[in-house]
This record gives sequence, structure tokens and C-alpha cells, in this order.
Amino acid sequence: MSRADGERILLWTLPVVGVVWLSAFLLFPGFVQPMSPTMSAEEVAAFYRDPENLPRIRASMILFNWFAVGLIPILALIVLQIRRMAHRTPIFSYSLLACAAGGPTIFLMANLFWLLAAFRPTRDPQLTLMFNDLAWVTFSTQVGFLIAQSVILALAIYLDRQQRPVFGRWVAHFNLVVAALLVPAAFAGTAMTGPIAWDGLLTFWVRNIAIGVWIVVMAVVLARAISRQRADEAVAA
Amino acid sequence: MTTAAKAQHRFVPGQPDMWAFVLFEALVFTAYFVVYVVCRTRSLDLFLQSQAHLDLRVGVFHTLVLLASSWFVARCVQAARERSFRAALTNAYLTMLFGFVFLVSKVLEWAAKLDEGFGFTTDEFFSFYYFLTAIHFLHLLIGFVALGIAVHQLWSPARRSQELVETCATYWHTIDFLWVLIFALLYVMR
Amino acid sequence: MSDSAAGTLPEERSGSLLRKVAWHWRYDEKRELWIGWWTLVVFYNLYGLLFFVITRTQPPPQPSLSPAEIAQWFADRHHGLLYGYAIVSIVGGATAVMNATLAYSMRRMSVSRAFAYSYLVIYALATLPGMLIMGVVCSVGAMRPDRDPALMSWLYDFAFLSFEGTMGVFLIGSLVWMAAVLLDENRVFPKWFGYLNLCNALTEVVVAPAWIFQDGVFAWDGEIAWWINMGVFVTYTTVFLTLLRRLILREDFGTGPLPELSQ
Repeated sequence: MSRADGERILLWTLPVVGVVWLSAFLLFPGFVQPMSPTMSAEEVAAFYRDPENLPRIRASMILFNWFAVGLIPILALIVLQIRRMAHRTPIFSYSLLACAAGGPTIFLMANLFWLLAAFRPTRDPQLTLMFNDLAWVTFSTQVGFLIAQSVILALAIYLDRQQRPVFGRWVAHFNLVVAALLVPAAFAGTAMTGPIAWDGLLTFWVRNIAIGVWIVVMAVVLARAISRQRADEAVAA
Repeated sequence: MTTAAKAQHRFVPGQPDMWAFVLFEALVFTAYFVVYVVCRTRSLDLFLQSQAHLDLRVGVFHTLVLLASSWFVARCVQAARERSFRAALTNAYLTMLFGFVFLVSKVLEWAAKLDEGFGFTTDEFFSFYYFLTAIHFLHLLIGFVALGIAVHQLWSPARRSQELVETCATYWHTIDFLWVLIFALLYVMR
Repeated sequence: MSDSAAGTLPEERSGSLLRKVAWHWRYDEKRELWIGWWTLVVFYNLYGLLFFVITRTQPPPQPSLSPAEIAQWFADRHHGLLYGYAIVSIVGGATAVMNATLAYSMRRMSVSRAFAYSYLVIYALATLPGMLIMGVVCSVGAMRPDRDPALMSWLYDFAFLSFEGTMGVFLIGSLVWMAAVLLDENRVFPKWFGYLNLCNALTEVVVAPAWIFQDGVFAWDGEIAWWINMGVFVTYTTVFLTLLRRLILREDFGTGPLPELSQ
């Protein structure tokens, strides 16, 4: 089995991970209609205690826990493509590698807090509220590595000055747009209602849709880059 | 710069870099000592009372042991300079031996104090006692690494960098020097 | 800047800052390194501003505050914490570029690439205790001023202990860099910088008592655990930023010893 086949396998894990994530997303009762930060401790505790919700919360979060790092192989493949760019140093590929480590770890933290909130639903509602807060704030505000990923990739593409750049320049512009769309979510802690609150338009819908679109677009772009790379190598051989 | 030229321009034994490090560490330790003295001045009675539980003779023993080890490392450097490497190695081992005696003795002293009921959190004096002796202990362990490097150098004729041996010796002397200060502050100053 | 291509490149424009930056963006073959270096400089300054001025979480408050006082502490900093840490979460990813640049310095050395990769991974992880966990926890603490003070107290401990007390990443990371510098034959950094890494590593050991004491010089806000350590850290950071700059100026993209700067 050649290297190209191995990379193709990794690439095809993405749709699988995507399906799992989407299912988990729809399964968690607090996402499709995002929970509001204005819910009182009693309401939050009731949410976790509700026998309709509890199994769905646990199942979805366990799914997320299993597959949280599912995106890393794709990020690794992007790192390899950056290495093919006409750069003087490996700094950009190293940077993206560092981001790849950071992003999923943070998501796992949020996941942990949700699972904790659901573990003893009969505890003091104030405690459940706190775990719920920790989960949502972590999930919503920690966009740093996602922004960095996109900015670094954009920079790397702009500086990839060769006859046939690895990625088209539009990919760089696209990444900068995605990065910009993620910025409002960082402010989720500052508002309890409105578009910036963790259930709001900008922080929840725009952010998560932007991430989803990024994954799909980058996967397609990556697949094309890899097959072009293989074609070039076959010609050269 | 060739080795010969370097030797001519050397105005400190060993790497000048080590001296920079030694100076910086001495500065940091001085800061710790200043904090100790300030705290001591604020709670003089408590410190005097707790200090009485330290055995001065044990402190003196430690000091003598480390001074002896320093003497041996100095002889090691001298022997290396005269290119009698067997003697240099022997002296390096003796340095290690005395250093090891210090380590064992220190651990025994800690065990004894813990036995008597004086722990890290017992009172402010004992916090300092354990902190200062422990951080010094750690530096001593690093000193063994330095001695190891010196021995490694002395072993094979392919290496034997005089500069490196002197660098390690410089570090060892510094730990001895720091111990003398700690000894003075914790054991003697009453 | 780039000797070999000097004949064919346009003259480096003197003039406005924008012109200079544009020139470097287009022609300087060291631009990736300078992007890395400037990211480091800007980020550390921003970090200082965010932690010391906007969120006012540094210098740290006392561990011995009562729950009511802690609730008051959060209330006093309500907006600073929420907006300050929002900004931290936006720029926090810059650490990836910073760590990549430092890892590059180890790549340039004669030592194995394992040093660079170890450092990269260790410090990538370090961003969590180094600022992100504190950001999340302080935001949660600040967002509901009417939360039970006992819970605020737990959040307070969580924030400061994770921030001040997580030592391992910086300890081992500094030792990795130290080993690389001392073993390097390409003279990328002076040997004394290797030893300075040891000093920085030792400060991580010195912080350990912060997990035990709630007041005094060894507590997380104490003279020994914080003030002296901060002195060492600031020195260390200033030094390596300066040395990194010299490295970039000396860089010849070769694999042998780096040339010295022609003074």
C-alpha cells in the first residue's frame, strides 16, 4: 500500500467524522435549540434531569468525546501540503501543527464539562449551572486556535510563490473570511442575550456554520491538492 | 577562534557562560535570602524558637563535607591542568563521594526533623528551612550531572577539554558557596 | 539583507513604515522569520497589557480571601475580565506561530529534530494552563455576579492554581531548549542562554509550594513564588527575544555554524 493510499484513507475518514459530529450535534438537546445563558439554575438542573434529555445528552457527548480529535488527521494532511509550498522555513507547517494540538484539546474540555454536568443530575442546581456555564463558555469563546489556523494558512498561501501554488489564492481569502466570522464568538461571555450570547446568531449559528463550511471546503481543496500531487509524482517517476 | 587563542584570551577559568549563570543564580538566591531575613525580622521570636531545633553540629558537618568536596574538585582541575588524568579522575570521584555523603546526611536530617514533627507547613521558619535546603539539594543533584560531564571528559584522550572540566568545577564551587550562606542564615544566625 | 540576490532586487526603500513592510513582504527571504519574531514581540506586550492592566489578574490576588471578598473581586473586574479574556481568546492562537519560530531555532542547530518537535508539542499544550483555562474560568466567574460565593471561591482557586501552579510544561520545555543549546555546535545561541533556561526551569520547581500555602511568601501571590519568579521570567523572555533577533540577522539558511554578526 503506497503513501498516497494511506493519505486517501485518512481523507475519507472525514465524511465519517462529519456524519458522527452532525449526528451528535442533532442528538444533543441543547444545540438544535441552543440553551440560553439566561436560564436559571433550576431550569438548567431540570434540563439535565429531564429523562427525555439525559440519555441524549450523554450519548451525544460520548460520541463527541470519541471523535473530538477526528479532525486532526485532516489538519496533518494540510500541514503536509504547506510543506510543499515555496517557503524558506518550516515555520508555517509547524504553526499549523501546534494549532492542530490546541483546538481539539479545548473542545474536549468543553465536552468534559457537559458530561460532568450530566453525571449527577440530582446535585445542587447551582453546581450543575456552573458546569453548564463552563462547558458553554469553553465551547463558544475559545476560537483562538481556529482563527490562528485560518490566518496561518492564509499567510502560507499568500507567501507560496511558485508557478503552480499548492492552493489557489481564493482559499486564502476564504480562510480570512472564516477567521473574521469566528471573532464575535470570543465575546460570548460579555452578553447573556442577543447575537453575541452563546445561543445567539453570531456566536452559535455563524460560528458553527463557518466551521462546518471550512471543514467541507478544505476537505475538497485538500483532496484536489493531494490527487494533483500524486499525478505530478507519477509523471516525474 | 582557535583553542590556543581562546586559552590566551581566557580571563576566567572555564566557560565565561558558566560565570554568567553562576552570577545570575547567586542573584536569585540573594533575593531568597533577603526575603528570609525580612520575614525573620518580622517574627524574630518564632524564628529563634524554631531555629533552636536545628542541630548546629549537623550544619557544621555538612559545611565541612562540602568544603572537602570543593577541595577535591579543585585538585581535580589542577591535576587535569598538569595532564595527570588518572589523578584528576580520582579527585573527581572523591568529590562525588563527599557530595554523596552530604546528600545522604541531608536526607537523614530531614527525616529526623519530620520525625520530631517539624514539617514544611509547621511554621514559617521551617518552611524556609525545607525550601532553602531543598532547592540547594536540587542544585547539588545538578552538580552531579556537571561532575558526570567532567568525568566523561577526563576519561577518554579524545576529549579532555580543560575548559569543560573547569566549567563543571566552577559550578560545584558555587553550590558549596551557596551552602555556606544557607548554613550561616539557618544554623548560625541566632 | 539577502546578499546573493542584492544585485537583482530593487533597493530596499527607505521611507514610511508601510513602504518598508511592503518591501520586506515582497523581497525579504527572511520574512517568515520576521513574521514569527514580530508575532512574539507583539504578543508578549499584548499579554502584559491584557493580564496586568485590562483583566487585572496579575499580580495575583491573595489566596486567603474569603468567599465574600472573592465575589467582590470578580465584581470589581466584571468588564475587564469578560472583554479582556475575549481578546485573549482571539489572539491566543498566535502562540502557535511563536512556538513554531522557537522550534525553528532548534531546527537550525546541529542537534536532532526531536528537540524542535518536543518543544513544539510541549508548548502547544502549555497555552491551556498558560492562559486559556484561566480565561474560561474567570469569564464564568464574572458572568453571574449573583453566583454562590462558595462556588466563586472554587472558580477563583481553579483559575489561579491552574495558571500559577501548572509547572511541568514550562519545566520540561525549558530543559529541552537548554539541552539543545548546550549540545549545539552551530552556535545558534550562546551557552549562557542554555544555562538561563535552567534558571527558568528551576523557577517552575520553586512554584510548587503554591499548591500548599494559602498565604505567606510561598503562596501563589508570594514574594518567592510570584515576584522573584516573575523577575526571572521577564529577564528570560527579554533575553530570548533579543537573541532570536540576532539569530534571524545572522541566518544564512545553511546547516553549519551560524556566522557572527559583522559589527
